Amino acid sequence: MGWWRWARRRLQVLSDKDSVEAELDDEIRFHLEMEIRQQIEAGVDAAEARRRALVAFGGVERFKEEVRDVRGARILDDFVLDSRVALRSLPKQPAFLMAVLLTLGIGIGGNVAMFGVLERSLFRALPYPDSEELLLGRVTWEGEVGFTVSGPDFFDYRDETASLENLAALTPFPVAATVTGRGEPERVSAPLASAGFFETFGVSPAVGRYFLPEEGRVGGAAVAVLSHGYWQRRYASDPGIVGRAISVEGLPTTVVGVAPAGFRFLMDADMWRSIQRDAGWASARQFHNFVLVGRLADGTSVEAAQAEIDAISTRLEDVYPDTNRDKGLNVTPLRQALAEQYGPTLNILSVAVALLLLIACANVSGLLLARGGARRSEMAVRSVMGGGRGRLARQLLTENVYLALGAGVVGTVLAVWIQRGILTFMPMEMLGRIEPGISGKTLAFALSMSALTVVLFGVIPSLSMARADPAGDLRAGAGRGGDRRSRFRSGLVVAQVAMTAVLLAVSGLLFRSFQELTRVESGFDTEQLVTAEVSIPRGKYGDAEAGVRFFEQLSEQVRSIPGVSSVAVTTHLPIQDPGGNIRVSRPEEFGADGVFGTLAYRRSVMPGYFGALAIPLVGGRDVRPTDDAGAPEAVILSVALAERLFGDEDPMGRTVAVDQGGSEPGIREVIGVVGDVVSGSLSEGLDLTMYYPYAQSPSRRMRLAVRARGDLGGVVTGVREALRALDPDVPLSDVTTMDEAISQSVSDERTVAVVLVLFASVALLLAGVGLYGTLAYQVSRQLHEIGVRIALGASGSSVTRGIVGDGLRLVGFGLVLGIPGAYAAGRLVQGMLFGVEPADPLTLFAVAGFLSVVAVTACLLPARRAARVDPVEAFRSE
Amino acid sequence: MRPKADLLQGSLDLLVLKTLALEPLHGWGISKRIQLLSKGVLEVNQGSLYPALYRLRDRGMIESEQGVSTEGRPVKVYRLTKTGRAALEAEREGWRLFADAVEAILATG
Repeated sequence: MGWWRWARRRLQVLSDKDSVEAELDDEIRFHLEMEIRQQIEAGVDAAEARRRALVAFGGVERFKEEVRDVRGARILDDFVLDSRVALRSLPKQPAFLMAVLLTLGIGIGGNVAMFGVLERSLFRALPYPDSEELLLGRVTWEGEVGFTVSGPDFFDYRDETASLENLAALTPFPVAATVTGRGEPERVSAPLASAGFFETFGVSPAVGRYFLPEEGRVGGAAVAVLSHGYWQRRYASDPGIVGRAISVEGLPTTVVGVAPAGFRFLMDADMWRSIQRDAGWASARQFHNFVLVGRLADGTSVEAAQAEIDAISTRLEDVYPDTNRDKGLNVTPLRQALAEQYGPTLNILSVAVALLLLIACANVSGLLLARGGARRSEMAVRSVMGGGRGRLARQLLTENVYLALGAGVVGTVLAVWIQRGILTFMPMEMLGRIEPGISGKTLAFALSMSALTVVLFGVIPSLSMARADPAGDLRAGAGRGGDRRSRFRSGLVVAQVAMTAVLLAVSGLLFRSFQELTRVESGFDTEQLVTAEVSIPRGKYGDAEAGVRFFEQLSEQVRSIPGVSSVAVTTHLPIQDPGGNIRVSRPEEFGADGVFGTLAYRRSVMPGYFGALAIPLVGGRDVRPTDDAGAPEAVILSVALAERLFGDEDPMGRTVAVDQGGSEPGIREVIGVVGDVVSGSLSEGLDLTMYYPYAQSPSRRMRLAVRARGDLGGVVTGVREALRALDPDVPLSDVTTMDEAISQSVSDERTVAVVLVLFASVALLLAGVGLYGTLAYQVSRQLHEIGVRIALGASGSSVTRGIVGDGLRLVGFGLVLGIPGAYAAGRLVQGMLFGVEPADPLTLFAVAGFLSVVAVTACLLPARRAARVDPVEAFRSE
Repeated sequence: MRPKADLLQGSLDLLVLKTLALEPLHGWGISKRIQLLSKGVLEVNQGSLYPALYRLRDRGMIESEQGVSTEGRPVKVYRLTKTGRAALEAEREGWRLFADAVEAILATG
């Protein structure tokens, strides 16, 4: 109503400004005329009468100006005035100001940082032309989306699809390769890509060309496209490199082109090598090594493309029942597919920062109300002096707007740091490199966040304070009354406790889950183990025997380094490098009913492997040097795999059938059984694993695990020297320790846990401060009553108990609301939990305990103040 | 100079409302009536009445209409609205409390 009238007046002023001016002129002229006439009638001459009238009026122009102020610019005027008051009075309370700016700043900062991360990861277009047309193709098993697709399946999909303009394949891991022939040998990331890979992304080469279709066919030439970065670094941007051959894995490989600067997909690659269909990677339908990228043809929808792909999948299932049963292909918009990877983590963090902001707002709201208590006399006087209720509320709101703006600035500054922290822990490499930064959109978000906080924390206190009953407040001094306000404050504390409980519980669950993960029994001794990769070039060691001899010699040399107690040499180390798994069964069951056995990790090991990793030999024997290419093919099974295949029967001397991609399995004799280890990831526990003698299944790329007695650094130097002495062209790469690698493997889980624990701690601190503030305020208002009780003989400790009881009651209410909330939140993150239930009693008890301890601490200070109340002082202060 | 006017604003508004509660009047008439009723004690600038009138009109406490002076000259006349009457009651109560409080403080000396 008031606003409507104000707006109408305002419009009137603007529309008929002149007529209003004339009206005012006339009114004043009439006033002066009457005044002059009265003076003249009293016997004063005309000139003197005029002078007196003007003096009595007190300056015509001045009051005209004031009338204009009143009418036109009143609101703006008030705002300027209020601003001046706010900006002058706020810095006079530095503690209050700091508390509000920091509390809200952290709340806003967390949200701005998260928004920036989301904007840069989920909402930003991928850096490819028309990127919304790009689809990611992943295998499905019984309808469940997996990841990698086999080479032959890819070729069939590519040849048959009409709804995709382009379909290309890439190994989604950096197939490491050694480049030799130019000084030091170098390990590079060189994934395999099909023809049409770059064309799908719609990027043109910086130099040269991309792969030709025939280069991907059986027997195609070995060709590579260099990344722009590698081309600059290694070849000084020499365009002459195109057409020349470089030695990759000892194989002459022709460089056909250079990708444009900044081009990147899934990982940083130094070069992309062409898929060769006859090479191992793409040779069989059961070897799943590629992800697919496609571009939607004009006028086709994702659904239509998926339907067409499904039809092809069904046909493939009919033609290749052995390999393609229940297998399909899922196509999803690329951005969506890549973001899915980070979705759960980002969701949790977003909810956490939103809760944090709500807690911060509740906290500041409480602070403002407390300050309002101290300012009630001021408000009452202003109200009597003619400040209407709306006017006072506006004045208070103006102050809050400035507080929120200040907090917005603090928050934006904090956001830069918080964002950098989040991105350091969670680089989101799949989506391309994400640089931290504050965009215009993010700034706008920060501003709207500030506005939102004003609404959340400022409006209710402003209205409540402006509602102050001046008569009552003046009469009673700064004493009692305002029950509604203190109930509201108590409500704020309860809400803070409840939200903090939810945050604490979720962070507690994820932290416990992370702890459980690190406690997983790996099945081998991870301490004092230096690990590294050694890869010998094909050109020099093309003969398998030469490779075997090289690694035997290396193993020998390393073992004789002082400080080394034993050496394990293998194709794949547990956890660090899981490698692929393969199907294995009893020979008589192979292929029966289209089943090719159970999936097991496979690795080749040299003699001494089990001893060096301290994996117990349960039965049979270790690999021996005599288990070479000429000897019968042998295999060592892990305990669980032996049980799976042979049950209670003695596996020793039995044979197993290993799926080799063809119709005939490889038959191997079981020579030993060893303890189970975690071969893949910690979250999946012990794995079914089998081991081949190295000489019967050699590889040019091997991993060493060196058990050191003392200083690990000295051992690394020793290994380097031994390798250089043996062959200076062979690099030692990927040097780390087993413990480090294991810790790296759970870094995602650790990140989420650490960030959430951090957020929860801030929330806990805020809730504690909020509770303290509420109780301290309550005590200061009840001084009189407490004084009376003490005067009547109540002991200090009973007063303390009363106040602490009040505090704990609020916390109790908060927990009653918060614990079910925590349970619900736990259910939401269940998918991310490992070894912990959403209703984990330990976590929930810890949350309740933590909050109670903080609560008691927050209560004690005001409670002790209450206990020390001197009745005489209390009465005098009334 | 504004703060000073602000300080008087409350009381001047109250006086204007009280004056108009008796009968509708034009600006000059209101100023004379206040002077008369206060027995000349409240000597305010007559001009400061006008911002107060426009302010009260904006708030809907008084309204204006075209009237005629005793000499037959067309002039703007103000009258109290319903809102104004209610505000007068409220402000009068507030003012009394304030005055009592001030009086009480002065009496303790």
